[in-house]
Amino acid sequence: MIVFNINSNDVLVGRRNGKLFSCNNSCPHRGASLSKGDFNGNNIVCYMHGYEYNVFTGKLVHMKSWKKDESWMEQSFEWRKSNDLTLYPVIEKDDIIYLEFGQGN
Amino acid sequence: MSASIKKESVPKIVALEVLEKNGVNVEKLKESITKGVGAEFTTYYYYTILRMHCTGLEGEGIKEIVEDARIEDRNHFEAMVPRLYELGGNLPRDIRKFADQAGCPDAYLPDNWEDINSILKVLLEAEQCAIRSWGEVCDMTTGKDPRTYDIAQRIMQEEVEHEAWFIELLSKRPSGHFRRRFVGQSPHTGSQGSLIHL
Repeated sequence: MIVFNINSNDVLVGRRNGKLFSCNNSCPHRGASLSKGDFNGNNIVCYMHGYEYNVFTGKLVHMKSWKKDESWMEQSFEWRKSNDLTLYPVIEKDDIIYLEFGQGN
Repeated sequence: MSASIKKESVPKIVALEVLEKNGVNVEKLKESITKGVGAEFTTYYYYTILRMHCTGLEGEGIKEIVEDARIEDRNHFEAMVPRLYELGGNLPRDIRKFADQAGCPDAYLPDNWEDINSILKVLLEAEQCAIRSWGEVCDMTTGKDPRTYDIAQRIMQEEVEHEAWFIELLSKRPSGHFRRRFVGQSPHTGSQGSLIHL
């Protein structure tokens, strides 16, 4: 995975199972750098709170529970909720990767 | 909703212009700082409850350590908030919104708090989240915004020390530290100008 800075926005570009993906590097939950995370299949796992997003659909796939132990209280829904990942269209042509970032960029 | 001021009444801010020219995304930085200070503030609140439950022979033994972490986390809030306003940001007007956007989960008192290890695990998780949170701010500002970086790295140094305390209490690994000179000393952020009580 590589992070590019475009107009002060960090864009993450990578390949998963041979397929290109591109997304905003900022986790939609609390803004952590997704490039520091690991993969679980096609899901990128945020290193800060363990949320998982599918890098091809952008969907939030797994929201970590804090009730890891019966004695722990779950976090409030307001704190837990998250948007989906921001994806950018990406294609590869003649060994060059093209990324559509914003309108006409 | 935040307090609003007429934008035209604020003159050009060179300190912000410099950051933008250095490639800092100031809006994202303000968001990250607001989340970070939100976590410090909520942690201060929840550590108060956790400390109250450090009782009995074992609990009393760690009460002062929890108190150091509690007061130092409050100091972190005090140290960074002035910088947020310098950057043109502000705290949410509603404290509920402030808590909901905090960068780290609430450090709730566990049901089995009589087991002191259960409290230590909550404390450890909170410190580890804070390290990641301020690490993000350090990464965003290193070599670009020395003022924010300086405060964030001081906070992070103390969070790393807090993590070490709780790991040592849980794992009994050898320890390199002794005790603070006074409660909530904040040896790194204590030199920040806004901490007038230190």
